[in-house]
Amino acid sequence: MTSAVDIGAQDVEMEVDPTAETLADEKKNQDGAAVLEIREQIRQIEKGVSSKESRFILRVLRNLPNTRRKLNGVVFRNLAQSIYPPGADREAALALMPAVEKDATELPDVPKKQVASKAPIAEVDAYFYLLLLVKLIDASDLQRAGVCADALMAKISIQNRRTLDLIGAKSYFYYSRVAELKNSLEGIRAFLHARLRTATLRNDFEGQAVLINCLLRNYLHYALYDQADKLVKKSVYPESASNNEWARFLYYLGRIKAAKLEYSDAHKHLVQALRKSPQHAAIGFRQTVQKLIIVVELLLGNIPERVVFRQAGLRQSLGAYFQLTQAVRLGNLKRFGDVVSQFGPKFQLDHTFTLIIRLRHNVIKTAIRSIGLSYSRISPQDIAKRLVLDSAEDAEFIVSKAIRDGVIEATLDPAQNYMRSKESTDIYSTREPQLAFHERISFCLNLHNQSVKAMRYPPKSYGKDLESAEERREREQQDLELAKEMAEDDEDGF
Amino acid sequence: MANLYNELKTEWSKYAPNLEHCATLLDGFKLELVRSNFGSPQASSSSKQKEQLVRYREMLEIAVEHSIATKDYAAFERYMAQLNTYYFDYDKVLVPSVHMHKFMGLNLLYMLATNRIADFHIELERLPMALLTNNNFIKPVLNLENYFMEGRYNKILQAKKSLPAEIYTNFMNMLVDTARDEIASCLEKSYDKIAPKLAAQRLGFRTGSKELSDLAERRLWNVDDAGNYDFAGLNIRQVEKVSAKDIASCNLSYAQELEKIV
Repeated sequence: MTSAVDIGAQDVEMEVDPTAETLADEKKNQDGAAVLEIREQIRQIEKGVSSKESRFILRVLRNLPNTRRKLNGVVFRNLAQSIYPPGADREAALALMPAVEKDATELPDVPKKQVASKAPIAEVDAYFYLLLLVKLIDASDLQRAGVCADALMAKISIQNRRTLDLIGAKSYFYYSRVAELKNSLEGIRAFLHARLRTATLRNDFEGQAVLINCLLRNYLHYALYDQADKLVKKSVYPESASNNEWARFLYYLGRIKAAKLEYSDAHKHLVQALRKSPQHAAIGFRQTVQKLIIVVELLLGNIPERVVFRQAGLRQSLGAYFQLTQAVRLGNLKRFGDVVSQFGPKFQLDHTFTLIIRLRHNVIKTAIRSIGLSYSRISPQDIAKRLVLDSAEDAEFIVSKAIRDGVIEATLDPAQNYMRSKESTDIYSTREPQLAFHERISFCLNLHNQSVKAMRYPPKSYGKDLESAEERREREQQDLELAKEMAEDDEDGF
Repeated sequence: MANLYNELKTEWSKYAPNLEHCATLLDGFKLELVRSNFGSPQASSSSKQKEQLVRYREMLEIAVEHSIATKDYAAFERYMAQLNTYYFDYDKVLVPSVHMHKFMGLNLLYMLATNRIADFHIELERLPMALLTNNNFIKPVLNLENYFMEGRYNKILQAKKSLPAEIYTNFMNMLVDTARDEIASCLEKSYDKIAPKLAAQRLGFRTGSKELSDLAERRLWNVDDAGNYDFAGLNIRQVEKVSAKDIASCNLSYAQELEKIV
């Protein structure tokens, strides 16, 4: 019996061992591939620097989300050998590295030939630290991430190289992210401002864009809308910033404008932010923007369409807002109060709570509008009952204001104690339709112009389709002859 | 500095403080504040420095009250801005002031009274939610804003009697005046005619008081044969003219844009 068990146990071991080995092997291969890939990227960066083409660096950075997943302690250790010559620099880099996972196997040492003999160029140095920083954030090792971020900023600040701008811009973002995670955003404001000044002076557009966004995020984190607004007013957002940065900026702008009661501006910015954001990724961002759009739209007095709430990926998170919209649409104050008290904490998390509180008088407006449409005569007492108000006097004041603001067309008759609705005026006799038409046309034209601007053309291809001077002369000759013939034909016809 | 502080405090705590004397004291205080670099504190500040800051804060609070007593609203804004740094930014270093919420509410009321609704809301964003819903000083101001937006001006007239603090009176009067203007314009638009007695009641005046006739005169209200205010003359709607020039310029711009596309 015992032997049978033993054999069984051995069997199991036999089965386990190879899989563990293949797993380890696979891991090793993956790490090896990752190292090779990053070395290739580093070569791209070097190429970009020597040919002064930022395109290559941009391509490397665009791949960052992919690279990010492949990083680990082993990869970093190996890379450090081939990037930094032995000495203080390498030691400093090694000290920051994340710990090697238990089951990982070290890659073989880098062959002597490939060990770095001289210090890397600033771009490669910064890129390595950027990767390190991203990895440390992912591993939520905030303490080391902080040290790493500071080291990275020190490296970038002393350089004045245009080829470093793109990597620098990315670095600012993660630097600010670390500060946010450590809850010390307040402390880095002065530094970001200093960098923004430098970036502006050096025409570092990407850097400017990222820095302005970081600052706005910083201010809005502490609800300092006033300062954020001033920053937007005093700075020019670079036109050539990447789409993602634009989307972020427009979202912050939308938030500021909404807080300042400039709802139509806010709506415009937010819709643009949604359009500029990536269509398939970045679900979180789209959810956040969409929530704000719904609230702003309600504040504008519009009701968002049902389709909005049905989009895949957004449906669940918009549930509370759907309820809210329904309460506003029906003009039901009680239901509105219920929704606000039920989802209050959620709205607070979304930064929409203060905006939603402002909705109360919109609900009243909708209610009054529907009363105005359905009754030709109604007493203030009845209105008060319908709106759940304290007294008829309240109702009379509210209706009176609604009339003045043009919400309904009616008059109040104090002698007989009722509100009488007027015949609604024919809207087509006013300029309203023309203005609406104009707005739509200009939106379409603007969209067209923007998309033409957004198109990319390969360099130097504009000459291809153009005809040479000789060809043109020939064509013009033909045209002339054709015209002559046609003229003759015409004459013949008469 | 200590002398200045004591003198100002004793003077201000008198029943009828000498405003001019306080003004000179405050001038001295402002100089002192500049000399001390506006008292910017560090987290590591010693307790003595903190004490100094608390004194500055207290003097600023007196300064705010003084500016209201002298109706110098530009000064009020300046002092309030300085005081806000003590309330919001130095809160990690200092013990919060006992009067903090009173002054925050006051500031909100000031913005409401001067019709700076956007600033009002931006200020609100900075305050924690618990204050907005429960605080004795801030909640009433928030309610006032609600009444104002909804059009329940009668509640504003009533609220005048139940102010959270004595010092709010000045701004409340401003707000009531604004509300009366709003009520008057609503009356014009929503009634064809209204009896003076009812109008007085709506506006919170006593019947037949001089204020009512002043207001009627200022807003050019007609009195008809029966003695009622008649607003029919004010409500005639102008027939809208469609300006040919606008249409032409619109069409030209469309043509221009279309040409670009084709």
